[in-house]
Amino acid sequence: MVPLLVLVAIVVLLGLLIVGAYNRLVALRQNVGAAFADIDVQLKQRQDLVPNLVETVKGYAAHERGTLDEVTQARAAAASAGDLAAKAQAESALTGALGKLIAVAEAYPDLKANQNFLQLQGELSDLENKIAAARRFFNNAVGEYNASIQRFPAVLIAGMAGFAPRDFFDVGADRAALNSAPQVKFS
Amino acid sequence: MPALGLQTYIWNNNIRSGLLLLGFPVLLLGMVFCLTLGMIWGGLLPPGDAYGGAAAYALHLMIVDAPLALVAAGVWFVIAYFFNQTIIDFATGSRAVTRDEERDAYNLLENLCISRGLTMPTLRVIETDGMNAFASGVHEGRFSVTVTRGLLQALDRDELEAVLGHELTHIINRDVRTMVVAAIFAGIITLICQIIYRSIMWGAVGGGGRGRRGNVGIFLLVALAVGAIGYVLAIVIRMAISRTREYVADAGSVELTHNPDAMISALQKVAGHTHLDAPQSMRAMFLEDDDEGIMGLFATHPPVDKRIAALTQYAGGRIIPPAPASPPAQASPSTPPSDPPPAGPAGPWGQRRDAPPGPWS
Repeated sequence: MVPLLVLVAIVVLLGLLIVGAYNRLVALRQNVGAAFADIDVQLKQRQDLVPNLVETVKGYAAHERGTLDEVTQARAAAASAGDLAAKAQAESALTGALGKLIAVAEAYPDLKANQNFLQLQGELSDLENKIAAARRFFNNAVGEYNASIQRFPAVLIAGMAGFAPRDFFDVGADRAALNSAPQVKFS
Repeated sequence: MPALGLQTYIWNNNIRSGLLLLGFPVLLLGMVFCLTLGMIWGGLLPPGDAYGGAAAYALHLMIVDAPLALVAAGVWFVIAYFFNQTIIDFATGSRAVTRDEERDAYNLLENLCISRGLTMPTLRVIETDGMNAFASGVHEGRFSVTVTRGLLQALDRDELEAVLGHELTHIINRDVRTMVVAAIFAGIITLICQIIYRSIMWGAVGGGGRGRRGNVGIFLLVALAVGAIGYVLAIVIRMAISRTREYVADAGSVELTHNPDAMISALQKVAGHTHLDAPQSMRAMFLEDDDEGIMGLFATHPPVDKRIAALTQYAGGRIIPPAPASPPAQASPSTPPSDPPPAGPAGPWGQRRDAPPGPWS
């Protein structure tokens, strides 16, 4: 009787451990998903900002067609990018193009004095900061999730239940540019 | 399980708080057990041979008495629970502000609440230069977040958001309630200790008119030891819970704002400027309280450099060199260890230092 009870207790305990470990993994995966949705919201907002910015610059510097087209194309590419890696690449291209656009705007005193432009620029800088923060939070969550599914007891469950490792939101060479908002000086 | 990131770190600290909280009833029952044993040895209770020795008899008595003790604790809890709200309302002396008065702080707090689907707590301000903040309230829907004027002036937007996120996490986690429970348990144990102490004093003065004086000395000795140990342990556990809740609130703030750097720089700014007139029992709720006490064991808050180290290690924060006015803490690791912490209760919250082995070890 006693050995049977011990056995039952062990089985129940084991079951609880498995349920607990599984639920932890689910929660961590959920965190990654939520963190990604957060980045996505910020990226979308930046994409929505671009047409306004382009229109404003166009009013003063219409012949900077090359830079303007680059921004518009980068925006379109970013908006249609599918998976994570493509998204990261398209977004970093957009960041570069926007940086160039702002640099070009430096040469136009009238544009620099435009209230609308200043406001858009402020919003852009704010968004870049938020994107950088959201991206770091996402990568932190991914790192935690990936490490968790590779640890010993959990790796068994992760393998059976299909918890696959996730990619980081890696912006590669432009990482430094994304980490800090573009510095704009009015001199 | 080791902390691998923000979420596992929060889980670990929550488990730790739970175990510490569990330490109170264990401590209470342990004290009752030891006292009973002392009474048996001292000849105040029958030796209990029928139960197979003094220890077994004491255990039996304890099990019989336990429900009674727990009911008494429950009644005390209910009374103190409601009384606590009144004390907090009275002691804070803060003023509730509207959106128009403190637009920035109000909007930040409201946005944080919206992101978590919370009813917004009342925002209160204390007009003082000290930089501090606390969350209060025990009842649903009557929470408030209080900040000082000094804090509003010294912190920038991101830092203020981080602080509000910290306090909001206290509310989300119902930490005030946890601390009330801890305070009540500690109060019960303190009361028992005082009863022991006073009855020994009275016994000594009254001369103990009983005939059976034989081993009463042993009982007194045991009672004194139990009282002293229980008294210290109760406070140590209570403060340890308070410290784990601070770590969780820091992490929760990062979870809300996604900005570990702002939390770090806010902590760096307030460190050393947190003075705020308040009763001792309220300090545990503050954003930061640098009344360290002996060896940090009786501190309500972990040292700032430990909190910052935790934020860099688990939340991906970066230490930005603090303002030149405040020298950087030596103990703070400028290069955060990149390897995961060793298994077991190590890591930045495993800061027991030279704590006596308590019921939670």
